[in-house]
Amino acid sequence: MEEIVRAEGLKKTFTLSKKQQRIERTAETRRIAVDKLSFSAYRGEIYGLLGPNGAGKTTTLRMLSTLIRPDEGDAFLCGHSIMKEPQRVRDVIGFMTSELKLEGFFTPDYLFDFFGAMHGVEKATLAARKRELFSRFGIDKFSEVQVKNLSTGMLQKVSLVISIVHDPEVVIFDEPTNGLDVITAKVVTDFLEELRQMGKSIILSTHIFSLVEKLCDRVGIIIDGRMIAEGELKELCGELSLEDRFFNIYRSVKGDVQ
Amino acid sequence: MKLLALIKKEFHRFFHDPRLIITILLPGIMLYVIYSIVGTAINGEREPQNYKVYVDGSAEAAVAFVGAFVTETGDTVEWLPLEDGDAARAEVENGEADAVLIFSENFDETAQGATVRILYNGAEEKSSAFYTLAETALNMYGMRFAVVSESVKSAEEIGRNLFAGFLPFLIVTFIFSSCMGVTIESVAGEKERGTLSTILATSAPRYQISIGKVVPLSCIAAIGAASSFLGVVLSLPKVIGVSLGVFAGAMSFGGYALLFLLILSIVPLIIATITTVSAYAKTVKEATGYTSVIMILVMVVSLVGAFVGTMGDWVVCIPILNAVGAMGMLFEGKTVIWQSLVSVGLNIVYTALLVLLMTKMLSSERIMFGK
Repeated sequence: MEEIVRAEGLKKTFTLSKKQQRIERTAETRRIAVDKLSFSAYRGEIYGLLGPNGAGKTTTLRMLSTLIRPDEGDAFLCGHSIMKEPQRVRDVIGFMTSELKLEGFFTPDYLFDFFGAMHGVEKATLAARKRELFSRFGIDKFSEVQVKNLSTGMLQKVSLVISIVHDPEVVIFDEPTNGLDVITAKVVTDFLEELRQMGKSIILSTHIFSLVEKLCDRVGIIIDGRMIAEGELKELCGELSLEDRFFNIYRSVKGDVQ
Repeated sequence: MKLLALIKKEFHRFFHDPRLIITILLPGIMLYVIYSIVGTAINGEREPQNYKVYVDGSAEAAVAFVGAFVTETGDTVEWLPLEDGDAARAEVENGEADAVLIFSENFDETAQGATVRILYNGAEEKSSAFYTLAETALNMYGMRFAVVSESVKSAEEIGRNLFAGFLPFLIVTFIFSSCMGVTIESVAGEKERGTLSTILATSAPRYQISIGKVVPLSCIAAIGAASSFLGVVLSLPKVIGVSLGVFAGAMSFGGYALLFLLILSIVPLIIATITTVSAYAKTVKEATGYTSVIMILVMVVSLVGAFVGTMGDWVVCIPILNAVGAMGMLFEGKTVIWQSLVSVGLNIVYTALLVLLMTKMLSSERIMFGK
């Protein structure tokens, strides 16, 4: 199997503000969000990062997408270092997260062309890809509607197609089905499976067990910024369900669930 | 290609939103309407005046110029040779004469150091009106000399030429307002809404994103500044009470070219400043707060610019002040080629440095993604 993503000892700490210190009743000034995290993802597989809120999943994905820099460690996507070649990394990845928004004034049609140009996609290729993706997701009927007037589901679809406008090798999704209705969620998960069949590598973060069981080939369980367990789903769970296995691991690390 | 797309996006955002276009053009239209009404109120109902003015010294060309300028307003001047200074002063004091103009020796032939002394009565409306016209005309007279004015009676002297004197200040203020409106929304607004992050997640180099903001926003702000500038320039002659032709003819083509260059250099400098501040701010509200402070600073600097002639050549190093000083001297009909060109050059350098700083800020995780 061809290794497409390799994270090596990623570490990220954040400074706690006085307000945060007060709220959390702590004297510590720095918080470790991700602690020496290592994992690999291969071509044509969906890799899931599973963990509770605040475990460091989103921070890990933000480091992989070069929006933030790790304090220690490095990661390689299609052989490009996030530390040394962030611009080249951005060319081979598509990143979708609720943090990245689309300007409400513009239409999906305009934004697709704009972000295509941002990734240096040729006009003819861009036009063909727009036709294909807009039709696939039913965006074509809304292509001239301002983004601010789209429904949440349609907006999520538009965000999805724009994040992969340049046909990236690695697709990084932070909570891909969050806030979606069941129909849109199904469209998104089906498309992720389609991307896998096309040989793309997908890394997603989630706290939804069923999503991991349905989609992921391999999974990494993160708690308090550390990779506690990792492997193929069957290998990791054995006879247990993912949920039961996760809580067994969680209890061994954090004690009882409160 | 990426830079072009970024530039086109800003233009598309602006030119496809009628509200933004109105916002940027409205100040110019409003200024024209307001100043025109003020001008009509001052000069519209006025009866033509015949000024009685004593003249001392051989300055036939300058006197003819002032005379022609006054005639343009529909008034006339009766020039009388000054024989008894005390008697003439007494006449100005009791309102029988309107002013005394004393030109230094061989005024028309003197290249430097020439002076004009204007004696008038600030308490008399007619005498004050002549003083305003004479001073405006002398400022437009293409020669280097000092105007020394003296009012024989103290009075409230709010000269109408105040508008002309404060033109550089007005220009800078209008430019700043235009820049402020478009830039804060485009940079701090995008940052607050999370749309700037989406662009940062693409492979567009950070420096292109900086330039992709500063260049189009400068063009858009220049349109707003031009609208405000035209609004003032077209209405100012009405306030002073002269025709547009006389007003426009006060400066040579070269002077207008330098003025255009100076304005052209200020716009990107102000845009780059507000862009940098907006990129630093977390919200539009915060950016507006910072920018307001900078605007006050710029307005103070622009007002100080009125005295720039007495401040020495080092002012060309101070952004904004350099351009204001040069503009002020241009309006006085002085030749300020090197001051103007150095100011333009330095403003371009300052703009480039700010673009560089903005690029660094776009790469800063703390600034762009800090909570």
